[in-house]
Amino acid sequence: MAVTRERFNQGMTYDEFKGWMTRNRDRLEGYEGNVEISPEDLAAFKDLSHPLDVLVIGSDWCYDVLTNLPVLGRLAQESGKLNLRVFDRDENPDLRDQYMNGPYQSIPVFVFFDENFNEIGHWIERPKSVTNLRAEKRREVFTTTPAFGSPDAPVDQLPEATRADLQRATSASREGTVPWANQEVIRELRELVDRGLKEQERRPLVAGNVQS
Amino acid sequence: MRGVSKPVKVKITYCAECGYEPATLELTENLMKEFQHDLSAIEIIPWFQGAFDVRVGDELVHSMYRDGGFPEYKTVAEAVRAQLAGED
Repeated sequence: MAVTRERFNQGMTYDEFKGWMTRNRDRLEGYEGNVEISPEDLAAFKDLSHPLDVLVIGSDWCYDVLTNLPVLGRLAQESGKLNLRVFDRDENPDLRDQYMNGPYQSIPVFVFFDENFNEIGHWIERPKSVTNLRAEKRREVFTTTPAFGSPDAPVDQLPEATRADLQRATSASREGTVPWANQEVIRELRELVDRGLKEQERRPLVAGNVQS
Repeated sequence: MRGVSKPVKVKITYCAECGYEPATLELTENLMKEFQHDLSAIEIIPWFQGAFDVRVGDELVHSMYRDGGFPEYKTVAEAVRAQLAGED
């Protein structure tokens, strides 16, 4: 069943969501402070002819929510053209089940609606490019150090010294990728909105790390 | 003491960037209170990528990847009791 404007308005604003959080608010706000938006990207949202409503499904325990919702939050704050309403995934099964990621209940979900409350597209979890880069870097870590064994083996079974080396190598491989990942989120959201608004038939678009 | 035949150790591997500390500490506290000296150790391993795995002895009792979500405490406690009773 399509989401109604009335249902949408039952959600929390971005600031209300922050107040609702029982954990990780400091993390979320830390990530938010590090988001950089280029003038071109900001202009793309500022120049929208009408504000868009954006339904968010999230929670306060998920890393992808903590890192990607602040990107949307900053776009909303700085453009003034995105009206966010946030819903906790576990307290809103009707919305969660409507935006499943294949068999998974992946979050965050960002659903964009035009001024007539037609869905123009939705985005799930993280960009595929980010998932792919993380997987590639993980493979590199294991390939360069055979002592780490198989990437599929449980890490708690590794000798402690080897595990510590793997922790350091994994941390190092992830450093420096966050600004790029944020940019990928912005790029995908910008493309989704642009394409969605141009869709003559208003067929919903899907992006993000969606299971096929 | 329960007449332990071999040491039973619990390992909790949690995602340190996901904010899973409260769930980790709650599980640890419950295990400490219930089993006290019957456990040889509780090891907490900070990890990445949404991990929340609980191993009792050699048995992986819960994996967030495999099972989804956090474990019920009773699931972990029952696994500990079974191993203490030599049922593994």
